[in-house]
Amino acid sequence: MLTEVKNQWKVTRLSIQYALVRELLNKATFLSNIFFMILNDSCMIVQWIVLFSIKNNMGGYTFKQVLLLWGMAAGTYGVSRFFFKKSFNLSETINSGKLDAYIVQPKNILLSTITSDIEIAALGDILFALIVYFIYGFNMRTFLLYLFFCITGGVMITAIAIILNSLSFWFNNADMIADVGIRLIESFATYPDGIFKGITKWLLFTIIPIGITNYIPIKVLIEFNPYLLIINICVCLLLMILAYTIFSKGLKKYSSSNLMSARI
Amino acid sequence: MRKYLFIIKTQIMSNLQYVFNIVFSFIGYFILLFILFNLWQYLYSDPNELINGYNMTQMSWYVIITEILWMTLGGRKLCHKISQDVRSGNITYNINKPYSYIGYCLSTHLGDVFVKGLIYIFLGMLTGLLFLGSFPKLTLINILVVLITAILATTISILLIISIGLISFFIEDSGPFYWIYSKIILVLGTIFPIEYFPTIIQKILNFSPVYVVSYGPAKLFVDFSWDKAVSIILAQIIYIIIAYGICYLIYKKGVKKINVNGG
Repeated sequence: MLTEVKNQWKVTRLSIQYALVRELLNKATFLSNIFFMILNDSCMIVQWIVLFSIKNNMGGYTFKQVLLLWGMAAGTYGVSRFFFKKSFNLSETINSGKLDAYIVQPKNILLSTITSDIEIAALGDILFALIVYFIYGFNMRTFLLYLFFCITGGVMITAIAIILNSLSFWFNNADMIADVGIRLIESFATYPDGIFKGITKWLLFTIIPIGITNYIPIKVLIEFNPYLLIINICVCLLLMILAYTIFSKGLKKYSSSNLMSARI
Repeated sequence: MRKYLFIIKTQIMSNLQYVFNIVFSFIGYFILLFILFNLWQYLYSDPNELINGYNMTQMSWYVIITEILWMTLGGRKLCHKISQDVRSGNITYNINKPYSYIGYCLSTHLGDVFVKGLIYIFLGMLTGLLFLGSFPKLTLINILVVLITAILATTISILLIISIGLISFFIEDSGPFYWIYSKIILVLGTIFPIEYFPTIIQKILNFSPVYVVSYGPAKLFVDFSWDKAVSIILAQIIYIIIAYGICYLIYKKGVKKINVNGG
């Protein structure tokens, strides 16, 4: 069992490593992608400077805390898109029959599929998340927590992407549902929960779990709360199991399109 | 000119096959509007209170219009397509055709935007009426002028994005340049009107693309005045000439660098 996990880990690591080497072939594009993504993320700070000039408190968040929320959103997005890029276009892989190339490998199909490509620009998001954290104020304990939440958030977003995209095993237009679902999460991620009321707020902590991926981590970072930390971990595990189960169930319905393809 | 109109017509016919997809994509627009409505409701303690000259209803309508302009544009797709045409060498198939590549891209994309624009305008207005309960006081001629400025704004946006896509002649991936362009338009013109910024920045923004592609049509929709309409349309015409000139120059310089390997 342990050897199997070790082998799978090695394959995943190598897959990401090769994808990175491939991208590094064009260094100018590689660096410009990262640099411009940091610049792109930074542009939105202007929005909050303007909003804080109108009101000095945004739903219970100070300017620095909103910055931290932005950093968390960028960090979770970065982790999910850099390490698990393929989970966001899993629908296309399923619909076009490209899953065949992964099925024949003696390794975990889901993990092999979602880690087979990386998004370089997402490295810019991860770096932006780190820069924002250092602006917020460094403290070893919160720094480790921040990194941890970026990872759990990224994994949760990936799991949701897998769940929604796996619907393609049953429905034709599931990619549209997945796109809307992911957009829903990304749109809410950068706005403080305090500006939402009633049912919207409830939805943000349940069906659209952005409350778990982003808002709870910020609350824990501001004031440590072990219960909220446990909720974050439990939901993360639950989503991972759910994603794996739905993908595995869907895989049984998958039929090959006899598409000849090679992974280079 | 007739051939470009024919391309637009062909694209419109093709897009009419995907009306359901367009309606479904409206959900993304709706989510964004919903978030911004919540934000403005939070900021305005009294809906009639004026912040930088706008009350809450005006701000909400402003965002409805700018988001329609932005989300129907599909700028990322256009930039990516041009970038791919250049990188893959597909552009060579267009070079020997009896039309200009820039004109072809412009008319193709205008055709794409047309159907999506009509659906988004209808659904956007409906959303605004449902959430806000009132419609800005506009005559039929006022609405026509706003529509003209919206069409001109879309034309300028497309030309500017084509010029960004053509940067691929010199730098392989023009995507990052598009990210920055889109963020500038979003932050400085889509979420807030120009009046929200300090006076010095306002002066700069009045000469920037933000004024013609985003602020102009939305400002006329929420607070129409003929003086403003004339100045916006004039600025838009000047910008169309400038944007086309930029596209032409980049294309002319870049096309000399094409190296086709055959195949």
